[in-house]
Amino acid sequence: MSLEFLNGFKFLKKDTFIHNLDPRSKLLFALIYTINALIFSEIIPLFLIFITLIPILLLGKLFDQWIRSIRGLSFLFILILVLNTLFINLSYAVAMIIRIIVMISSFSIFFLTVDPNELSLSLISMGIPYEYAFSFSLAFRFVPTISMEAQNIIDAQQSRGYEMQKDSIINQIKNLFPLLVPLIICSIRRAFNVAEALESRAFGSDNERTFYFTINFTYKDWIFTTYLLLFLIFSIFIRINFDLMPNWMTWSLII
Amino acid sequence: MNGKIPKIVLDSVNYTYPSGTKALLDVNLNINKSELVGIMGKNGAGKTTLIRTLNGLIRPSSGRIFINGRNINDQSIAQLSKKIGIIFQNPNHQLFSNTVYEEIEFSLKSIYNEKELVRKKIEETLTLFDFQRYRNRSPLNLSGGEKKKLALASIMCRDPEIIVFDEPTLGQDAKEIEFFINLLRKEQKLGKTIIIITHNVEFTIEFIPRTILMSNGKILADGPSKNILTNEKIIEQASLILPQVSQFKIALNKLGIKTPDNLYKEDDMIDFLSTYLGSK
Amino acid sequence: MSLVKFKNFYFRYKGNEEYALNNINLNIEKNKFILLAGETGSGKTTLLRCMNGLIPQFYSGHYRGKVEIKGNDSTQVNIADLSTIVGIVFQNPENQLVSMNVEHEIAFGMENLGFPRDKIRKKIEEVVQLTGIESIMDKAPFEISGGEQQRVAIASILALEPELLILDEPTANLDPLFAQNIINLLSSIQKKTNITIIISEHRMDLVVPIVDEIILMEKSRVVAQDKRDNIVNSDIFNKLHINKPIIYSIFKKLQTRNYYQGDIPISIPEALKILKNK
Repeated sequence: MSLEFLNGFKFLKKDTFIHNLDPRSKLLFALIYTINALIFSEIIPLFLIFITLIPILLLGKLFDQWIRSIRGLSFLFILILVLNTLFINLSYAVAMIIRIIVMISSFSIFFLTVDPNELSLSLISMGIPYEYAFSFSLAFRFVPTISMEAQNIIDAQQSRGYEMQKDSIINQIKNLFPLLVPLIICSIRRAFNVAEALESRAFGSDNERTFYFTINFTYKDWIFTTYLLLFLIFSIFIRINFDLMPNWMTWSLII
Repeated sequence: MNGKIPKIVLDSVNYTYPSGTKALLDVNLNINKSELVGIMGKNGAGKTTLIRTLNGLIRPSSGRIFINGRNINDQSIAQLSKKIGIIFQNPNHQLFSNTVYEEIEFSLKSIYNEKELVRKKIEETLTLFDFQRYRNRSPLNLSGGEKKKLALASIMCRDPEIIVFDEPTLGQDAKEIEFFINLLRKEQKLGKTIIIITHNVEFTIEFIPRTILMSNGKILADGPSKNILTNEKIIEQASLILPQVSQFKIALNKLGIKTPDNLYKEDDMIDFLSTYLGSK
Repeated sequence: MSLVKFKNFYFRYKGNEEYALNNINLNIEKNKFILLAGETGSGKTTLLRCMNGLIPQFYSGHYRGKVEIKGNDSTQVNIADLSTIVGIVFQNPENQLVSMNVEHEIAFGMENLGFPRDKIRKKIEEVVQLTGIESIMDKAPFEISGGEQQRVAIASILALEPELLILDEPTANLDPLFAQNIINLLSSIQKKTNITIIISEHRMDLVVPIVDEIILMEKSRVVAQDKRDNIVNSDIFNKLHINKPIIYSIFKKLQTRNYYQGDIPISIPEALKILKNK
C-alpha cells in the first residue's frame, strides 16, 4: 500500500510565472477549467481543452509532479474506463477519462503552485476571518506529515502479521481498526502538540494582528484572468453553436 | 541447514521511490546468524528503507535479497514478518487494542492457529515483560516507556529469527537502556540475528561489535565498530560525533599521556586510568 | 525579582489520580543556563508547561499553590501575553512549524502580537543571523533537515524576545552532530543575550558541561536545585537513573575504586585539568 500519489498535490516553492500569480487568479483558473470540462462530453473538444493545459504545466515547471499525481490515480481511470465502457460505450469512456484528467490536473496545478500561506491571505481578502483561514492553511501544511504517519502505521502493523482481508464487508471494516485507531490517536496527539505550540506563540492574542506578507494582483494576473474569461466565453459559444461546428469536432470512436 | 550460508544477503540492491528519490544505491551486504549489527548514518541516509526491504514492505527496484539462502521475492510480507520482527520507533503507531492482553494476542493470532497455544504464549510474554499487572489496562494509558516496552513485547512474542530495532535507546533513561541491554544479551544467547538502527555512538561502541555506516543510500563503511566509530573522517561524513572515550583518548595523547591502542570502551578507560593514577 | 516562582504547587491532569507535580517550590532567576534532569515520567515536561501558563490554562486539571511568572499569576494572564516573557521550544520540531516557509514561520508570533511591519523585518533579520538559518529562508518545513527545523523553531520563539527560553528535549529527534550544534548554539545565544535558558535533555555529555545550574526531578518532585558542580557531586545525582556524562561515570568508578578523590569532572577539559595536576 502506498500513499505516494498525495505528493502530486504538495506545494513546492518555485520561481515561475504560474507560481508567482496571485492565488485568486489560480482559483479562477481551476474553476474555469472545471466548467469547461463539464460543458463538453465529446472527445475532441475535451482533448483540445487538455492541450491548453500543457503550456501551463510547462510554464510552471510542473510536468514531473503532475505526471506523478496522474499515475497515482490510474486505478481511478481504469475504473471509469471499465464502468463507462460496460454501461455506455468506449468512446464515451475515453471522453470521461479526458474530462476527469482535465479536472484533476487543474486542481493539481492549483495546489502545486499556491502557497498555503497565501491561500489563507486570499481567503482573508474575501472576507473570511483569520482563524478560519489559518486553520485551512494549517490543514494543507500537515497533509504530507499525516500521510507519512499513515504509511508508518501501515508498515508497523504489517510487520506484526496484519493483513488486508478480502472476505465479508464486516470483517473488512473490523480489519481497519489496527490502522485507524493509531492514526486517529496520533492525529489527536499531534493536534494537541500543534495547539500548544500555537498558544505559546501568541495565537489568539487580544492584540490586533498585523500581516507581514501581502498578496498582490499584478498586471500578470490581469493578463491571465483575461485569458481565462475569454477562454470560458469561447467555450460557451462553441457549446451553444455546436451544431454549426465542422464534423471532426464530433468525431468519436466506433464503439 | 548449512551453517555457512549467511542469514541475510543483499545483492546489489537498489531502491528508487516513485517520487524519484534514490534511497538505496547498489547495497551489498552479508549478515551471519547470531550477529549483532548496528546501522548508523544521518536521517535520510537510507537506514529505514534498508530494513523495510528485509520483510518486503519495500521491494527493491533491482537486486536480490536472500534470507536463509532463499530469495524473498516470492514471499509475502506476512510470511517474511514471521522470520523478521521489526520494532519501529514510535509505539503509538501500532498500539490499538482495548487491553494489553489483546494487544499481544493480535500479534500472535497470525502465527499460531491453536487457541490454547496462543493463550499460553500470551501468558509467557506478559510474565517475561512484567506486564501481568497491566494485562487488562488499555495500552493507551501506559507511560511512554511502558508503551515502548509493549511494542517490543508485541514483536518479540512472535519469536522472530531476525530482530530489527529502530532507535531503541532514543529518549530512554538509564534504567530503560539497562533493560534493553539485558534483553539484547538474552536474545543473542538464543542465537538470534540482531540489527539495531541507532544514532547513539556511545551505545554502539560499547555493545555492538559491527557497524554498517550509511550515507546517501550507500554503504559508506562496514566493519568493526571500534574501527569505524573512531575514524574521524568517516564519522563527520555521517553527521555523527566521536564517542566520548575516543575523544578523551585523543585529548590524553595530546597531553602526552600514552594510552593503549585498543582502548575504546568505558571500562578500558577506567582500567587504564586506574593503572595510570595508581602509578602516581 | 525571579522570572518564575513556584510556591507549594501541586498539579494533576484531568482524569488522573496521581499528582504529576507534587509540592513544587522553585525559583528561576535571570541570566542562567539551567538543566532540568530526571528519569522519564518524573514530571519534567509537566513542570515546563507550568512556566508559560499552558498548565493550567491549556491542559486542564486540578491544581493547588501558585506559579508566578515575573510577578503575574500564571492562571490569570493570557498565555499569548506571557509569550513575550517565556518562550517554549518543544521536542518535535515538525509540530511547531505551522507555516509553509521559514520567513512566514518566524513572522507568525510577531504578527499575532501585532508588531509593526518594520519591527518584524528587523527582528527576522536579527534572529535569522543569531540562529544561522540565512540560507533556508524560503524553504518549506519538509524540505529542511530536523536540525534546521529545530533552529527555525528556536528562531521563531526568540523573535518574541522572551526573557526565559525553555527547551523540552530539543535534540531528541536529531543526528548527533546536529544535536551538538544546537546545544552549542544555545550556549552562545545565552551568552550573547543574557536570557535564561532551561533545557531538559537526555544527551548529558553535551549539555552538563555548559550549564550553570541543575534542577533534579524524581517522581513528580523537585529533589534538588543548585549550582552545577554541587549537584554533580551530590549523592542524589549519582543515585538517579538518568544518563550520566561518560566522563562522570569514569571518574565516579575511579573514586569508588579509591584511585581518585575530589570533585568529579563532567567534561574532557575538566578531566584533563585534574590529570595534569597529578
